[in-house]
Amino acid sequence: MASQTKADILAGHDANEALNTQLLPPVARRSRDLSADGLRSFLDERIIAASSEALEAGQTHYVDVPGIAPLRAAIANYLGASAGASYEAGNIIVTAGVQESRFLTIQMIGAEFESIAVPTVAHPGVRKALGVRERTVIPLAADVEGGYLPAVDAIAGALAAGCRLLYLESPARLSGAAYADEDAAAISRLLNEYDAMAIWDQGLAPWVDGKYNSLASFEESPSLVTSIGEAFPGMGLASWHIGYIAAPEAHVPAMQSQKQIMAICTSTAAQYAALEASAIFAEAHNRQLAHLSQLRSDLIELARAVNLEVIAGSAANVLALRASQDTIANLNQAGFEVADGALFGAPAVIRLSVSAAAADALQALR
Amino acid sequence: MSKKKAEGTNLLYQLIGEARQYDDVIVMGRGDPDFDTPAHIVAAAKQAMIHHHSDYTPPEGLPALRQAIADRVKRVNNIDVDPATEVVVTNGGQEALFLMVLAVLSPGDEMIVPEPNYNTYADSLAFAGGVKVEVQTYADDDFRADPAAVRAAITDKSRALLLVSPNNPAASVISPGDMKTLLDIAIEHDLMVLADDIYDLFVYDDFEHLSPAALPGGKERTLTLNALSKAYSMTGWRLGWIVGPADLMARVTELKAAISGGTSVISQQAGIAALTGPQDAVEMMAAAYRRRRRLVLDALDAMGMKYGLPQGGQFVFADISFTGLDSGEVAQRMLSEQHVLAYPGSAFSKDRKDYLRMTFLQPEEQLIEGLERMKVAMQNITAGR
Ligand SMILES: Cc1ncc(COP(=O)(O)O)c(C=O)c1O
Repeated sequence: MASQTKADILAGHDANEALNTQLLPPVARRSRDLSADGLRSFLDERIIAASSEALEAGQTHYVDVPGIAPLRAAIANYLGASAGASYEAGNIIVTAGVQESRFLTIQMIGAEFESIAVPTVAHPGVRKALGVRERTVIPLAADVEGGYLPAVDAIAGALAAGCRLLYLESPARLSGAAYADEDAAAISRLLNEYDAMAIWDQGLAPWVDGKYNSLASFEESPSLVTSIGEAFPGMGLASWHIGYIAAPEAHVPAMQSQKQIMAICTSTAAQYAALEASAIFAEAHNRQLAHLSQLRSDLIELARAVNLEVIAGSAANVLALRASQDTIANLNQAGFEVADGALFGAPAVIRLSVSAAAADALQALR
Repeated sequence: MSKKKAEGTNLLYQLIGEARQYDDVIVMGRGDPDFDTPAHIVAAAKQAMIHHHSDYTPPEGLPALRQAIADRVKRVNNIDVDPATEVVVTNGGQEALFLMVLAVLSPGDEMIVPEPNYNTYADSLAFAGGVKVEVQTYADDDFRADPAAVRAAITDKSRALLLVSPNNPAASVISPGDMKTLLDIAIEHDLMVLADDIYDLFVYDDFEHLSPAALPGGKERTLTLNALSKAYSMTGWRLGWIVGPADLMARVTELKAAISGGTSVISQQAGIAALTGPQDAVEMMAAAYRRRRRLVLDALDAMGMKYGLPQGGQFVFADISFTGLDSGEVAQRMLSEQHVLAYPGSAFSKDRKDYLRMTFLQPEEQLIEGLERMKVAMQNITAGR
């Protein structure tokens, strides 16, 4: 006898388009998969040693919900040094990856507001997290000219219309474009003016060649901006799922409590690995960034050679291109998978992860 | 003082925080086994760091792990699942629990919950907007979830029945006969069943654990969770799973992707080693818990304390009504005065302020010392000191 209750449950899920948004993988699934924004990178043996030694020493038990204290401090330090944001260890919640960061911030900070303004083009994980528990979403227009960063005017409009919570990515997950300092400063002023808050995904910020300022850096001590991202990207930990939330003090308890409810804590293996990664990040990262920046310039040349229009961006790990369905089909036929801009809300655009395989993909279009 | 106000999980975390300040504390509170993860599992994790650190894992988990889980639930629970479509790997049993509740309950839906129960169910249900309908169980009855009481709690809004067996904190095990009756009730009233088997390897004396999904007509309406946390002493790895019918599991996969994307590859590789490798450490630990349970029960008997007989699990739920105090106060005094941490029943359910939950997840000498101190604390309390 078929269950009507189950049929109703299934129908409810199927009607939830946001929840059924297709998610992108955090790392390449295979060598010709160019759809991820995390790197399939070398893992330093010091990280292996640190993590396995911690496990061997008995760090195999539950740890504090928001993360082990030294890692929280290391993340706070890192955000200060790299993005000018003055968070303290107590502001940091270690998460089981950036999707958990998205979910916790969107749902728990979101619960305190009537609506949340979200760019019309954003990482598919944003929509997916919004789908878990219905929220009122105010669309923030984001177009290709602006690198898919909503214009300050559009943000001002949403605030003027009464919305008090923004979700912003900088760099944008699709294009890698980041807000200029004067725009970020203007957004910060708007938050103050309207007493509004922002969730700021800065996960791609380490890939910006040159100076990067978090939205949180415009506040002396962040009270309006919650920042999220991957912890120490490029260090070989993308598949370990380790991310962070850096939140104003007033918002930590609700997210920490929800983290307890849904996970108790984050895996110790990943936390001790990230802690070691924090110590060696600067040296390894600079080399990697230089390498990726060069590779990205080469890819831009290759793209132009096959008449693909490059969308401006400054994160060295991704490259967005305008591409027809035919181009996507050709790439797929050649065995390459790319991130379809349609998943972000921008059809006829693709995003490639910057890698040697991406060069092969563009060559295949010749 | 804010101390008095904390409730539920917050109260427990407050006590854990205080316990940390005492060098000589004996922890009989948190459900975290004292054993470290067996060495061969840690060694496998290290190998995985070398060889698999960047492997992609889909939201539902690595195929090899899902296969190992399917084999495990067949072997231990007699549940038949297709590893390709009917297993989702999670960040511990906790995420599995949250996902099961989210997958099945929408705002306004009722879930029938035998009480007392693990508080995260209430928290998750609150997140989902669902309504908890409590069915009380009693120490005199060894905390049996009486099928007649469950039936009486059903309304036209009932959507799911929660069956945690062995139960936390009451340590009762649903008998095979009751399990069949409970499933029949679920079928008759078209309820989904959420089954929490996390303590399934810890069943004592002649008691028997049965998974509802193993019964005819059970699997299609049941989501069953489990985790490596308790049986393999792997609480810090955050590795659990849900098994269930493919149609529902496809939706669970979407929810898993939405809330955390995937599960750490190193923990998954460690999980494969745990499930497919030698099991003697698991048996050794289970035997230790059997001995310790006896020891704790003997000590409680000697103190003349009442409790529901722990038929399974890793704890005893003891009656402290003779103190005349609320369990929160008793737990607080035991901790502050004697440096022994046990969990107040009031943190599990407002109706259980007459109970303390004590785990036996400490070496025997520690337990003996802890029970001795507890006796002193109880004597002081009853003597009005
Ligand atoms: C009944 C029950 N279910 C689920 C869990 C979650 O365990 P974990 O997330 O550590 O696997 C616990 C933990 O105490 C529990 O007691």
